[in-house]
Amino acid sequence: MTQILAIIRHDLKLYFSDRRALIMLFVVPIGIASFMGSLFGGSGGKGGTGGGLEILIVDQDDSAVSRGVVAAFVNDSTFRVTVTNEAAARALVLKGQRSVALLLPPGLGTDALPGLFNSARRPIVTLLHDPSRRMEKSLVEGMLVPKVIGSVAQNSLRPEQAREFIHQGLTNLSRDNRPNLPNRQIYRELLERADKLLATRMNQPLFGPTAAGTNVAGTNAFTLPLPFATRTEALTRSSTGDYNGYAHSFAGMGLQFVLMCLLDFAIGLLREREAGMFRRLRVAPLGRGTFLFGKGLSLALISVLSLTGCFAFAMLVFRVRVEGSWPGFVACLLATSLMTASLALAIAAIGQTPAGTRGIGIAVTLLLVMIGGAWVPAFVFPQWLQRVSLITPTRWAVDGFDAMTWRGLGAEAAIMPVAVMLGFTALFGAITWARLRWDAE
Amino acid sequence: MDPSLLSTRQLTKRFGTRTAVDGVSFAIQPGEAVGLLGPNGAGKTTTISLLTGLLHADGGEVLLDGRPLTGDTDPRKRLLGLVPQELALYEELTARDNLAYFGALQGLRGPALSEAARSALGFVGLADRERDKVKTYSGGMKRRLNLAVALLHDPQLLLLDEPTVGVDPQSRNAIFENIEALRRRGKTILYTTHYMEEVERLCDRVIIMDHGRIIVDDSLAGLKQRGTSVNRLRVELAEVREGTWLESVRALSAVRAAEFDALTLELTVADIARGTTEVLACLQHHGLTVTGLATHQPSLEDVFLQLTGRTLRDV
Ligand SMILES: Nc1ncnc2c1ncn2[C@@H]1O[C@H](COP(=O)(O)OP(=O)(O)OP(=O)(O)O)[C@@H](O)[C@H]1O
Ligand SMILES: [Mg+2]
Repeated sequence: MTQILAIIRHDLKLYFSDRRALIMLFVVPIGIASFMGSLFGGSGGKGGTGGGLEILIVDQDDSAVSRGVVAAFVNDSTFRVTVTNEAAARALVLKGQRSVALLLPPGLGTDALPGLFNSARRPIVTLLHDPSRRMEKSLVEGMLVPKVIGSVAQNSLRPEQAREFIHQGLTNLSRDNRPNLPNRQIYRELLERADKLLATRMNQPLFGPTAAGTNVAGTNAFTLPLPFATRTEALTRSSTGDYNGYAHSFAGMGLQFVLMCLLDFAIGLLREREAGMFRRLRVAPLGRGTFLFGKGLSLALISVLSLTGCFAFAMLVFRVRVEGSWPGFVACLLATSLMTASLALAIAAIGQTPAGTRGIGIAVTLLLVMIGGAWVPAFVFPQWLQRVSLITPTRWAVDGFDAMTWRGLGAEAAIMPVAVMLGFTALFGAITWARLRWDAE
Repeated sequence: MDPSLLSTRQLTKRFGTRTAVDGVSFAIQPGEAVGLLGPNGAGKTTTISLLTGLLHADGGEVLLDGRPLTGDTDPRKRLLGLVPQELALYEELTARDNLAYFGALQGLRGPALSEAARSALGFVGLADRERDKVKTYSGGMKRRLNLAVALLHDPQLLLLDEPTVGVDPQSRNAIFENIEALRRRGKTILYTTHYMEEVERLCDRVIIMDHGRIIVDDSLAGLKQRGTSVNRLRVELAEVREGTWLESVRALSAVRAAEFDALTLELTVADIARGTTEVLACLQHHGLTVTGLATHQPSLEDVFLQLTGRTLRDV
């Protein structure tokens, strides 16, 4: 016990005497995490104003329908719209300054509705996009259809056109001279009544975005609702109801730099062995288990301090909150610390020499933080990579922190990540035990 | 039971195809001071590593206090104090923090640890620098601290692996006086070095290693005795004289060889005292005037040269 405490006290002293290491452990991750957090959505409150995908729209039609499409994009907080001309739009996309531009062609307003019945008259909407920005292209493409249909419904399908369709229908009905056409009388009455109703509503929109019976544009008139409406709901249990990019980036960057620093420390351990420090240890009545356990604990403690520092900063400055369970969060932090400590020792055990360990360590750390989702959240990965990333301990660490912070899940959501990380700790510990040489050979 | 504090039997260590320690057997009695000498790569440090358990022997055994060590945590390890050849110190920490760490690993704690640290620092004369980081120390001060660490737990047997290597003469002397003081306190010492004069000054017994083997294990006096053929006597004469006097000198019982050249007579004698007396009497008998006399006793260096054909500082 005395020996373990001595090792821990000694290691912390040694660590805190090195100013460069401290900067790596606290200042750098906080700086980078702040930057990354702002890239990936920022904190909930700010998302609406600063965020949004910048797109260009060229309105070559300038009809009620096309203006309706532009307005629909403008009112969607997902986008920040600039209306411009085609030449400017092409130039900006070509230079990569905007990822997507939408060209609304002349005749969109007049042809869109007939286009439903006559494909020869279908207007063609052009989407200019930067080939490197597929996601943005898909997003605009996906949103284009409902926005155009909505605008056409509101602006193009007017009562007078509907009456034309009805008159056409009545004419067709009277021309049909099959003797026993069923319900002929009922159809005729239906169409005539509809015609009468529409006659009272000339020059007013037929469809409205709202449900039937509500007040539209100051009239008490009846409007049909759009065939569908969209509603979005951010699925987190946090009180602010928002994804906090900082919560994720601080977990990820904290983890990355903890790993790098602990690795540095483990390399120091190997260097001590080369420098003959182990001779002193070996001549003392000190067991190998005690020594490794003490080293592991001091590395874990450094990890706890660094992660705590990172999260404290994120909480104070970026309003990151543990929206879920505090015990779950603490458990994640402790399990992550044990896991990272044992990982660093295991890498040193496999690397064997300082140079070898540095090489393996950098590769393993980068790979783990990358597929573990420490840089960008794992949920943006393709499916196969998301599955692969489950074999990395870092993925579980980040998922655990995400669950306890912005996702706002309960303590039970921390059980799995903590259990998996403790399993990894046992594995890495076993590797260290088996491979870390304590002799001078 | 073996009364030795430390003994080895047929200790052997191989690194790949190179045998660094080759069937080494010796014993150290309590209170003895033994010098371990040998050129670079002779196997001195490897032997010490085997003694302290840092390396596992490929053959043979080490007995500490009569029995082999039973494992890493054997409390009899506290009998050993090691001063490694390298400066095994944390440069970023103060002397006190270094001592606190290594002392705690020896199982010391609380007031006993502080007291041990204080007294070790005082002993090597670093008490006033205890709160300074080791990296601010001079080379000699670091060597002294390297020694202090080994003394913390008051071990009975000190294993000193070139404790004065790379140190200025002043610090070297200071360290040396420290070790002599330890010797007077009754500590048992195994002292590894390249320096002849250190062994002659400090040790009663010398073990000389070369190529992993012990080539000599003898008392200092016994060793010099072996070096008889290199006792030299040089006599300066006032004039050159023809005659039979040189034959008379060569015929003396203590004289092994004699050469006369210019005014100098070079002699190899079996024993300095007897040789000097006999030669001076013989010269006087032949009426020769002696203007100068010099004797040259063999140093370990000479002995080593004679035994191995190499000087000690050869690689
Ligand atoms: N860890 C090791 N791996 C391989 N060979 C080694 C190792 N340690 C020592 N040797 C070899 O064993 C031999 C004895 O080395 P050792 O360090 O014991 O010599 P030494 O007598 O202490 O020399 P010096 O006076 O230079 O300190 C040398 O040939 C050395 O190269
Ligand atoms: Mg050596």
